[in-house]
Amino acid sequence: MSAPDTEPSLGGLLRHMRVAVAAFAALLVGLGAIVVLGVVAPSSASSVIMLVLLAAMVATVLLFSMEVPQEPPLTRFFSGLGFAWVAILVGMTLLDYFTR
Amino acid sequence: MTTARRMSASVAAPEGVGIEVAEQFADATQQRHAAQLGMWAWLLTELLLFAGLFLCAAVLHVTHPAAVARAARHLKVWIGAANTAVLICSSLTMTGAITASRHGWRRWMLRCLLATAALGTLFLLLKGFEYYQDYLEHMTPFLDRPYALAGEPATRLYIDLYFLTTALHALHLTTGVAILLGMTWIARKPRFLHRHQNWIEVYGLYWHFIDLIWIMVFTLIYVVPR
Repeated sequence: MSAPDTEPSLGGLLRHMRVAVAAFAALLVGLGAIVVLGVVAPSSASSVIMLVLLAAMVATVLLFSMEVPQEPPLTRFFSGLGFAWVAILVGMTLLDYFTR
Repeated sequence: MTTARRMSASVAAPEGVGIEVAEQFADATQQRHAAQLGMWAWLLTELLLFAGLFLCAAVLHVTHPAAVARAARHLKVWIGAANTAVLICSSLTMTGAITASRHGWRRWMLRCLLATAALGTLFLLLKGFEYYQDYLEHMTPFLDRPYALAGEPATRLYIDLYFLTTALHALHLTTGVAILLGMTWIARKPRFLHRHQNWIEVYGLYWHFIDLIWIMVFTLIYVVPR
């Protein structure tokens, strides 16, 4: 246990949040790209790119905002299991519709 | 009292930052892990709930592509985008509150919690404005009034799904803001961080998850079907 820290300035707080600020910037860039693709150039190809961008943004939130890699193994397993279950749900249902 | 810190922390726990161990736990680390796991278990049920709604949207998109595209083009994509940016900002302020709580910076923690609540409220105000615009444009098929796309019945399904999904999310956000304000009120007490630092960590998971769900709502409901 170390001595209590004194309250820093805003810059001091942000220096302790470099990863979070980088994730914030990445999410805003991702949002901008999705809006531009969806509004300016909607197409089947841009839909695929938007879904890839969405996956990247979700991963950014999970890895850097929710700090999943720093969780204990059981919690990491739970979080991975939840998204795997959703992938099965969506994948098998859409497979049915696409192959009819 | 035992002091515990999140495993990601790169510095030793400052004096006065920790959690009070409840009698059913062996130590603070076990209590912290149990709290994190409990929150994750609940968040996963929420993920499955919203995933069902996203799946409905995808099935509608596959079965009625033209009607869904027409309905999606009536949604207020710029308000949705602004709201996404607002929630991304609120995630940063929530991370600020967590970081400050880990270092024992109580004033910064309170400021960041209040900023997060303010951004959450701004989101809800924008959402209310969006619903009002939908009402004015007769895009509320579930109300007993003329519907702008009455000639295309499949659009009704998509617009109903849009309202259901966004209202469910708004309900989560409203609950989140209320809990956040209550926790900020409790956290203003000087010894809060001595006993309950993990409350901020666990609540932060919920707030980031609300942000994550909205990013999915915006992309899958507003933008991709256009």
